[in-house]
Amino acid sequence: MSREKLRALGLDLPLLPTTSVGSFPKPDELQQARTRWARGLISRDEVERLERRATEFWIRTQEELGIDVLVDGEQYRGDMVTYFAENMRGFEIGGFVRSYGNRYYRKPIIVSKVKWERPITVSWWRFAQSLTAKPVKGMLTGPYTVMDWCFNEYYPDRRATCLALAREIRKEVEALIEAGARIIQIDEPALSVRPQELPLAREALQMVTDGLPAYFISHACYGAFEKIYPEMLALPVDNFDLEMSNSNLDLLEHFKRSPFTKDLSFGVVDVHSHVIEDVETVVARIRQGLEVVPAEALWIDPDCGLKTRTVEEAIAKLRVIVEAVGRVRATLA
Amino acid sequence: MNLSLTNAGSYPRIGDTPELQILRQTLARFDRQEVTEADIRRAEDEMVRRAIAEQIEAGLDLVTDGQIRWYDPISHIAGKLRGTKINGLLRYFDTNFYFRQPILVDRLVRERPILIEEYRYACSISSRPVKPVLTGPYTLAVFSLVERMEYRDLERRVEDYATILAEEIADLAAAGAELIQVDEPAIVLDGANFDLFAAGICALARAKGTARLALYISFGDVSSFYERLQDLPVDVLGLDFTSSPQLIDRIAVEGSAKALGLGLIDGRNTKLEPEAEVAAALERLLPAIRSEVAYLNPSTGLEFLPRDRAFRKLQHLVRIGLRFKR
Repeated sequence: MSREKLRALGLDLPLLPTTSVGSFPKPDELQQARTRWARGLISRDEVERLERRATEFWIRTQEELGIDVLVDGEQYRGDMVTYFAENMRGFEIGGFVRSYGNRYYRKPIIVSKVKWERPITVSWWRFAQSLTAKPVKGMLTGPYTVMDWCFNEYYPDRRATCLALAREIRKEVEALIEAGARIIQIDEPALSVRPQELPLAREALQMVTDGLPAYFISHACYGAFEKIYPEMLALPVDNFDLEMSNSNLDLLEHFKRSPFTKDLSFGVVDVHSHVIEDVETVVARIRQGLEVVPAEALWIDPDCGLKTRTVEEAIAKLRVIVEAVGRVRATLA
Repeated sequence: MNLSLTNAGSYPRIGDTPELQILRQTLARFDRQEVTEADIRRAEDEMVRRAIAEQIEAGLDLVTDGQIRWYDPISHIAGKLRGTKINGLLRYFDTNFYFRQPILVDRLVRERPILIEEYRYACSISSRPVKPVLTGPYTLAVFSLVERMEYRDLERRVEDYATILAEEIADLAAAGAELIQVDEPAIVLDGANFDLFAAGICALARAKGTARLALYISFGDVSSFYERLQDLPVDVLGLDFTSSPQLIDRIAVEGSAKALGLGLIDGRNTKLEPEAEVAAALERLLPAIRSEVAYLNPSTGLEFLPRDRAFRKLQHLVRIGLRFKR
């Protein structure tokens, strides 16, 4: 079903397409430039020049490694929610809030009606796609997660906030499709938090994707998916990108009890560990994935964005994925 | 009755200015092996000092150390015990915060006291009394993964965590803590385990000596088992009215034999609640509490807010609370 959809969109992908979730680490020079920019020492143009250079680096790196579906690496983003809040109307960017350990993000505050004013990610997608013949995913954060990761001082409740965001975020999806994106990933890591709100998340995603000609992926991670499985399969996307390795592939047991009916982007390396998995480990994980999802429907990637790793660690983890997929493909042919 | 203004646990460990980011920087430099653990300790001390100073400046009567040294509410305790190893991230209730799950690989053993030094340090720099805060046995047990066979039984996990936390409570009481707060949010996930949860609390209560024990429950509705909370051998019950709003009416009518920690100020949203609404709730609740003291505090720890907003929340709380202080 989804393979047909991909072909209809002009995409002919190999079995077990390799991809990434979205973010890659920023090179030191960009990291330092962002700090200097925050202190007012250099211009935004200078930072953007380095962001473009870093994006080129990651596109080239993914091509050299042999990844099938590329991402732009999100070198221009600070954070997956704050970035969109900064570029839409209705938000005030709050101070730092801790997300875990020693990681923090600037949690936005919704202070007035949210409004999409102009394309946010489209020029970055265009730039990244201009550097490669491989498909580059359009990437954005979904309405449910933006709602859940912002303070709300304006809308009466979570539902009103979420649906208002959905209406506006759809415009970004339309702009990406108009620019030529055929695979669009809508990140919804907050999905599993409140199982009773799954219908709301579904309704919001429906508003975002309804009738639009693209292959939709939704990424989610670090939640209790067993609580929303199999109900989550009703979401209007073609592919779920799930963190599996950080939780010992526990989800596979649930997929055995109740079949996974979508395509699955299967996280085979843990992004929160410095340790580089060996190829055998990743091959074994892919084989476990193949026990519950047919090869036609299985994509392979890391658990989550690799931005918390060093550049070297991120590349090493991707290399292991490509090598492991190569070995498994050879046995499937 | 005396109304005491207090914090419910955590306080932000970071702020917008460079001097408020020393802990983040020091931890990052430690990862790059540029500084030592002693440097981390110094940065933590500094941020604890600032957290306490801000709580006092806002006007609180009773402060916490802001739980600045806590990696998260679970692994700060579980990770320091023999018999555990620390696993991947899991979302902490419905917050935007993630904690690391402990795995129980062997029999749990407390090799040394965990919180006492933190408590002593906080006392040494605070002009106001300090309330130590710890996560309760049931919550630690629920969020622990299990490899060791005997711990597949939740009751065994609660028992062993309770034994260890009772030692912590005894140490804190002996060090002079007058009020010790135990957080047990996990009971909101499954009230059917109330007996197990209660057994853990009873074990802690037996160890409290002359200290008073406050049981705080946030992140969910407790109204279905509220009556049974009143029967537990704790001195103070901390209630999150943002999650259990209908309890206000019930307590106003039924009264409360226990002292209450009134979580009327939302610790998780920046929006300042209308003063008149909070005051109206206090006017109904305070006469219904049959104890010498009640506490007014945010519904949760304040780490879910940016620092400037956390401070503003406390000021807001104090402004309202002062109208009701004798």
